[in-house]
Amino acid sequence: MKKSKAIRLVLLGGTGLTLAACDEPPPNDARFFASLDECTAVHSQAVCEDALGKSAQTHLAEAPRFAAKEQCEAEFGAGNCETRGEGMGSYFLPMMMGYMLGNAFSRPVYRGPDGGAFTRSGGKFYNVGNFAAAGRGAPFQPGQIAQVQRGGFGSTASAFRSSAGT
Amino acid sequence: MQRVATEPRPDWREHVERDLGFVFHTIDGAPYWDETACYRFTAAEVDALEDATAELEQMALALVDRVVASGGRDQARLRIPEAAWGAIERSWKSAERNLYGRFDLSYDGNGPPKLLEYNADTPTALFEAAVVQWDWLEALWPGRDQFNSLHERLIEAWKNFGIGRRRVHFAAVKNHAEDEGTVEYLRDTATQAGLQTARVAVEDIGWDGRRFLDLDGRPIEVLFKLYPWEWIVGEAFGEHLLAGAAQVIEPAWKMVLSNKAALALLWEMAPDHPNLLPAALEPNLLEGTLVRKPIFGREGANVQVIERDRVVAETGGAYGAEGFVYQAHAGLPAFDGNYPVIGAWVVASQPAGIGIREDSTAITRDTSRFVPHYFE
Repeated sequence: MKKSKAIRLVLLGGTGLTLAACDEPPPNDARFFASLDECTAVHSQAVCEDALGKSAQTHLAEAPRFAAKEQCEAEFGAGNCETRGEGMGSYFLPMMMGYMLGNAFSRPVYRGPDGGAFTRSGGKFYNVGNFAAAGRGAPFQPGQIAQVQRGGFGSTASAFRSSAGT
Repeated sequence: MQRVATEPRPDWREHVERDLGFVFHTIDGAPYWDETACYRFTAAEVDALEDATAELEQMALALVDRVVASGGRDQARLRIPEAAWGAIERSWKSAERNLYGRFDLSYDGNGPPKLLEYNADTPTALFEAAVVQWDWLEALWPGRDQFNSLHERLIEAWKNFGIGRRRVHFAAVKNHAEDEGTVEYLRDTATQAGLQTARVAVEDIGWDGRRFLDLDGRPIEVLFKLYPWEWIVGEAFGEHLLAGAAQVIEPAWKMVLSNKAALALLWEMAPDHPNLLPAALEPNLLEGTLVRKPIFGREGANVQVIERDRVVAETGGAYGAEGFVYQAHAGLPAFDGNYPVIGAWVVASQPAGIGIREDSTAITRDTSRFVPHYFE
C-alpha cells in the first residue's frame, strides 16, 4: 500500500458532536495543558491524545463564533483567532491553544489577550491558568520590557496582493 | 493514466468542512476541490512517478551542493542577493533539515515524467493531497490504493527535526484561507508528533533587537514560514533571519531550488536527463517552442509561450523584474479538454505521494482545480 493507513486530525475538523452544555465550572482535579507534551509528562499518551481529540471536537462544536475578526480579537487578543467557512458563511473563532483534562472531563483552552488561559463551561469562561507560565519552553519573565518592532515581514505579499504559497 | 468521471458525494461540502476543517474547497465562487472526476493510474505508472520524484530530489540536492561550492558564480546566475549567500552556505553545511517540497510534473502515463518546476520553499495544495483526497477514497473505495503517505510522513519528519522542547511557530500571511489552512494542517501534524506549537501571522512577527517575538512576547526559536525566502531577503527583518536569529523551516538553502533559474542549472548539471526538459537562461541556447518563466514568478503569472520568436500564449502579472528562464515546451497532456499537472511530493526528501491540479488551459494558474486519484 502506498496510502496512509489512518488519518486523524487533532486541530482541524472533528465529528461535529454537540455536547450538552453544563453549568458547572471545571472540576477541581482538571488541569490545564498547553501541549500534548506537557500532558504526557503527567498522563499516558493514550489518555492525553483522547482528551486532545475530544477537546478539539468540543472546540469546533462550541467555540464562540464572531462575524468579524476584530470582534473575536477584541475578546481573545490579536493573533488568537482564526477563520472558518467560506464566503458569506465564514466566521471567526478563537484558536484552540491547549486543553483541560480531568476525571471524565476535557475542554479546549483559549488564549486571552494577556496570555491568560480560558476554558468555557456551561456558556461561561473560566480562567484556568496562564500560557506564559505553562510553557516550559518560554518561562514567564515579569518586568522585562523591550522595544518590539513589528511589521518587518509581509510587505512583499501585500505589494503583490498575493498569497505566499505556491 | 485515465481521467474517470465520478459521482460527487451528495453531502461532500458539509462533510469536508465539518469533519476535515477544509474550508477553501471553493475559491472566489469557483470550484477548487473537484470530485466530479478522478485520475486512475496503474501500479507501474505510480512506480514511474515515485522513481522520478526520488531521482529529481537527489539531483536537486546535488545542485545545492554544486551551487554552494561555486563561490558566488551560480548564486549570481540565480539572481540570489549576495546578502543571502552566507545563510545558504551555513544552512547547507550544517545539514539543516528540510520538511517538504512539490515537484510539478508533466506526465500522461507514457514515457518519463518531465519536471516543469520545483516548489521547494512554500508549496501549498498539501492538505488537499494528504487528507482530502485520502478521505474521498476511503469513503468511496476503501479497498483501492493511492500514492499518498503524506500525513504519516509529515508526523514522522517532525519527530526527526531535533526540535525537542522548543516551540515551533507557524506563520502565514493574513487573510488567505488557503495559506492559513496549509499552515494549520502542518501545525496539526507537528502537534501529533508531540511538538509544542503556536501560530503567528507573518505581519505580526516582532523583533526586539535580539530575538523574534510573537504577539504574546514569547521568543520565536523555530519558525515554519509559508512565506518565500526571496521576499524575506528584501524585507526589513530579513537580515536578522539571515543572521540566524531563529531556526527556519524551510531552511535557507531552499533558496537555491525554489528559484526557477535552477531549472537551467539542473539541465547544465544533468543534460539530457530523461526527467528534465531543456532549460537555459538565454533563449537562443534552446530550439523549438519555448516557455518563458519569471525567475521569481508565482502561480503561473507572467508566463509566455514563444514559437519562432512570436508570443502565442501569455499570462499577466507583476513578476519578472529579476529576469527569466527559458524551458522547452512540454505540452501538457489533455484529458477531455483538461490539462493536469502532477504535483509530486517529497517529505524529508523522500517521495510521499501526488496531488493533481487541472486547468482548462495549458498554463496552470491559481484558478486550477484539485482532482483526486487512485491506482490499482
